[in-house]
Amino acid sequence: MHLALPSRKSSNPPQYAPRSPRFPTIRRSRIQAMVIGSLVVGSILWLLSRLVGGGDGIPSGVPPVVIVTVVDEVNYSKEYIKMIKENRIGYAKKHGYATFFPTNKDYDLGGSPTSWARVPATRHALSKFPYSSYVWYLDQNSLIMNPELKVETHIMDKKRIESLMIKDQPIVPPDSVIKTWPHLKGENVEFVLTQDKDGLAQGSFILKRGDWSKFFLDTWFDPLYRSYNFQKADTHALEHIVQWHPTILSKLVIIPQRIINAYEPDHYTQTEGKYKDGDFVVRFANCETVGRDCIQEAQKYSKQWRTIFNSR
Amino acid sequence: MTLSRSPSPRPGGGWASPGLSSPYIDVSGRSSPAQGYRGGANGGSSVTWESAKAKSEGVNGYPSFSTQNNGFFNRHYRNISNSLPRFNGGSDKSYAEKEKLGRGRWMGAPGSRIARLQNIALRTSRKTRLRLLGVLAVIVMIILFYTTPLHYYWRRNKHLGGGKKHVIILAANQGGGVMEWKGPREWAIERDSVRNKRKYVNRWGYELEIVDMSTKKRYAHEWRESWEKVDTIRNCLRKYPDAEWFWWMDLNTFIMEPSYSLQSHIFNNLGKNTYRDINEYNPLNITHPFPAAHLDADALSPVGDGKESSINLVVPQDCSGFNLGSFFIKRSAWTDRLLDVWWDPVGYEQKHMEWEHKEQDALEFLYINQPWIRPHTAFIPQRKINSFPPGACSENGNDTRIHYNEHDRDFVVNMAGCEWGRDCWGEMYNYRELSNFLNRNPWELFKEEFVAVIWFKITGKKVRL
Repeated sequence: MHLALPSRKSSNPPQYAPRSPRFPTIRRSRIQAMVIGSLVVGSILWLLSRLVGGGDGIPSGVPPVVIVTVVDEVNYSKEYIKMIKENRIGYAKKHGYATFFPTNKDYDLGGSPTSWARVPATRHALSKFPYSSYVWYLDQNSLIMNPELKVETHIMDKKRIESLMIKDQPIVPPDSVIKTWPHLKGENVEFVLTQDKDGLAQGSFILKRGDWSKFFLDTWFDPLYRSYNFQKADTHALEHIVQWHPTILSKLVIIPQRIINAYEPDHYTQTEGKYKDGDFVVRFANCETVGRDCIQEAQKYSKQWRTIFNSR
Repeated sequence: MTLSRSPSPRPGGGWASPGLSSPYIDVSGRSSPAQGYRGGANGGSSVTWESAKAKSEGVNGYPSFSTQNNGFFNRHYRNISNSLPRFNGGSDKSYAEKEKLGRGRWMGAPGSRIARLQNIALRTSRKTRLRLLGVLAVIVMIILFYTTPLHYYWRRNKHLGGGKKHVIILAANQGGGVMEWKGPREWAIERDSVRNKRKYVNRWGYELEIVDMSTKKRYAHEWRESWEKVDTIRNCLRKYPDAEWFWWMDLNTFIMEPSYSLQSHIFNNLGKNTYRDINEYNPLNITHPFPAAHLDADALSPVGDGKESSINLVVPQDCSGFNLGSFFIKRSAWTDRLLDVWWDPVGYEQKHMEWEHKEQDALEFLYINQPWIRPHTAFIPQRKINSFPPGACSENGNDTRIHYNEHDRDFVVNMAGCEWGRDCWGEMYNYRELSNFLNRNPWELFKEEFVAVIWFKITGKKVRL
């Protein structure tokens, strides 16, 4: 057919051309599905990581407590040292703890008394067992007498430590103006030790792992304290820093002496703090002074602890 | 010249000017009137999509040979004629025509600038107009933001600009009080230094704490006199609970470049701007990492744990060791501990004769002897926050690590030790003038670098505008 004019197109063409199919875009419903899917996968992964990682990134199988004892191989017999080590190891095995026995020659003390070695030794334990929750320093001349008691529950448990702590106690008895904190929460405790008749007793103390304990040990070990000729070396240095530096005092707890540091009763004149059967630890305090013999004093207990350990 | 009909308004703006009417007056360039499209379905003169499409496809109901778009002139006539200047009819027009042209005019005269602007405005599409409006609105908002105090509050806000997180502690009156009376020069130094910091702080929304360090009997322990940095920082920690970083500045410092914010200059990229390993620059020859095997991995690593977040103290080093004339300290448990053990009576008793720089020497001692300090201390290249004038540390001549260089636009000058035989006020004055000179605004630059120079060339006289 032939027309003079070409046919007109519709005067109302569609306003929008249909979308070109060349670039397929993702539909809204698919986006939703993808977002929901990724959220679900992400949360599952997160849950799994929490379950497997155990929260703080602490690998499993880490000993919760490390027992540190600095041994003096020069002034004490091999048997005695061996007995001391066996005592710690026997106790540690029962609860899955670790032990660490450096000698007092292992650290560069810069010429200061060897009793200072306990400070770098504890620091060493903290770095050797970085994931263990507590480091318990126990002096060489002491024995664990009750293997049933666990450090975490018997002492360091939040509620337990709150009930044990002696509040408002002068640091140096009888009348130091600096006293322990009256309002200290269990979770803020970093440092646990006892007091004997002379003052702070650093023969047995427990430190929580963390930055504070490193700070504390480094401060304690400052060369200016070591060179100052404190009459009782590290003990007096400890009393000094506790009394002068509130960041240390505010983390410290004094607990009754018999909890971790009962003294051998024959040579201790005070009524409180004497060892009784069933106590955690017995310590032959000051047995290294002239006229006393640590090995002899320990003899009675060295048999006793073996029978106790074997019976349970 | 006569018209077949009365002139009518045209979409291009203005009225048809009869004197200039030409066969090309029609937009489409065809010689015959194209009424059919003009008076299309929409009834108006606007070109609808359909009509434009129809036209471009040549479906126009006319014979198929095309009269459109043939020849350069036809195609570009409108562009060319629009860009030509327009002229008014001139005086040779008749009275009646003039009368008509000038009557009831709400748009600009065909030749006027207004008309041309309107022309442009009308020709721009709706979309372009909206876009332009948007751009304009943004520009206006930016101007409003910076001319009103709004930007100050923005910069101050903890979550937006973060200015409240930074406190400058300015130690005024050091060693003053009973020991030394202030003369006019000392007053002038104090006034200039304080004004400089205040201006800087107001610009960026930081906090400024001016502390009076004059010697007073304040401590039961008489030794502790003039060891007040620690107590001052501790008071500030308490006074500004929102603050994170504290910048200690001695009085003899001058912020040369107030346009640098602390965030952009240092803290946005703290790890890159500082160095943890003191071996990089070690004037004290400190053995690093700590020479003891019993420490933990962080303490034995030369850079601590290497994370920015573990930096709690940022100290510059000058030619003889740490310099506490200008340093940063961060609120943290670590800082509390450092502030606590920084001063100790046993240390003081043994060392106070040796430690003539007090806290500075004590800090060096702590850094050397207590391993817990190192993983949280970072050093900053001295010229980032603490450039020295040529007079300080001058034993070995000019050192690019130490001394101020105006071409590098160093941030801060510390006239360290100027009270020992140098002219504090003179140095302060010179650096103040230099800072003003370096930071002239565009108007001042124009006046001094352009107008004054030309004036000098013409008249041979130097002028101050």
